[in-house]
Amino acid sequence: MLTLRTINRILKVVKTNQRCEQSFHRWLAPTLRELKRRKDALGPEKPVHRKTYIEWNYDTELYAFSKRLGEEFNNNLLQQALTERSYIVSEEEKQKSVGIDQPLLDLADNSKLVTKGSNFIDDIVNRYLHTVLPRLPEEGIIEIQKYLTSTETLSHISFHIGTSELILCADFPVEKLTLANVLKSITAALVESSGNGRATAFVRDFILTQIADKDLHQFWKPEEPIKLLSDILARDNVQSPEPRLIGCSGKNTLLACFRVGLYTPHNKQMIGLGFGETVDIAHEMAARDGLRQLFGLSDTILLPFNIELENLCASNTKNLSVNEWSQMKLSPQSKHLEFYQTKIISSN
Amino acid sequence: MASNRFTPTGFPRVPLQNGIGRYICQLKRVTLRFCKSSGSSRGIRDFIETELINFAQEHPGTAVYLKPRRHKSPSFVAEYLNGEREVISCHNFTAQQMVKWLNLYTTRSGVPLMRYVKMWHTECPSIQGVWSPFTNMDPKLNTTQFPSEELNKPTWEEKSATKKLLEMVKNTKINDVNEDDTQRIEATQM
Repeated sequence: MLTLRTINRILKVVKTNQRCEQSFHRWLAPTLRELKRRKDALGPEKPVHRKTYIEWNYDTELYAFSKRLGEEFNNNLLQQALTERSYIVSEEEKQKSVGIDQPLLDLADNSKLVTKGSNFIDDIVNRYLHTVLPRLPEEGIIEIQKYLTSTETLSHISFHIGTSELILCADFPVEKLTLANVLKSITAALVESSGNGRATAFVRDFILTQIADKDLHQFWKPEEPIKLLSDILARDNVQSPEPRLIGCSGKNTLLACFRVGLYTPHNKQMIGLGFGETVDIAHEMAARDGLRQLFGLSDTILLPFNIELENLCASNTKNLSVNEWSQMKLSPQSKHLEFYQTKIISSN
Repeated sequence: MASNRFTPTGFPRVPLQNGIGRYICQLKRVTLRFCKSSGSSRGIRDFIETELINFAQEHPGTAVYLKPRRHKSPSFVAEYLNGEREVISCHNFTAQQMVKWLNLYTTRSGVPLMRYVKMWHTECPSIQGVWSPFTNMDPKLNTTQFPSEELNKPTWEEKSATKKLLEMVKNTKINDVNEDDTQRIEATQM
């Protein structure tokens, strides 16, 4: 006890005698806290365009852009393709506000290129789909084409080849419509700088490949498949198919499953097979399956993206519409694809 | 790859079906930030002197920027086509290490690092078609008459103790008979 008391006394003396100096800065934490509070009060930071950074060289970026795509562009055309009308207008207004009455801007906008590129893309997509899916009714082709040339798809492609920072336009962040338009104008610029062949390959590599790995049935779903199938078969002088229940499991349970096959009455061939939780659904699924097989759109279809692009069918080719679709009218057209496929296999 | 709870999980994905059409290097821009005098930037300075021209020539689709900053630790910023941006510290790197790290970041897709749930991914619903109870059904069942004796039994039945015992007795009996027979044969031969 004695020793403890003495130690305490000594410590007291030492405490009172030492100068109060701390090893850390007491002002630091409050300052940081205050800075944080002010920053929070200002709200979230607005996104800034990449061109406001010090490390930004537009010419370098343009060069890298064309090299990235592996294409040779005419520089002026590429510049024009990336310039929106809105940019020129806003620049002129800026000059006027400074006091220049007649602003001089040596820039052309891409509106002409957009229409040209749009037509070119539509044409190539159309011809490719008609070549690859010769048996699919025109309605289905139109739906797939709508998906491929929609603003949504084109803006996605445009963003992922890196146009979003290169576009000269007034809106920031860049709108989807602008992105899609720029992709169209770039295609047109490519047509003018390197010719149709390169541009067609460009459309194939970037736009057509968007349907790879997609479920093709999601784009077009014919209504009343049972009626449609019997109508189509009637045009080929085949009686309407006979549905038969060929499988049934878990009847009167939650997990009931029926399997229906569709058979042609005259030669007893199965033309469709489907299953579902009720017999009616299974019948409809079987009809859908039959239609898919007729239209050459089976579940396991692999679209050939490597077909020779010079041999795409003519732009005025039209597939049969659903209302006049019959196998007898089809025969010469449907050989397109098989012909190209054999050609590719032999050349490989 | 760390598999802790903070790492996002997902499937390997390819941006823009890259490779079905043509391959695009996803690294669009790289900024090398270094100090002109400090020792920690020695390697990156060596890299700039010796290897940078080769790198730029091999990757013309990537814009390269140099950004000297006084008395700061060196790093490089990789920017990808999908809008992602990554900062990699190059403190005390050698030129050779710089080459390797830049190579890693030029060959990446730019999708942030994640723990893969599976090593593959497909948008297509199924290759073999949707499963139903009739998929891969034994074709023998097409001609079977129901109710069938064989299918009513359990698929695997364990032998009861009585049955096992009976079998053992049966086996021993046969052996005894056999032994007697051999003895008899031996006797006749004698």
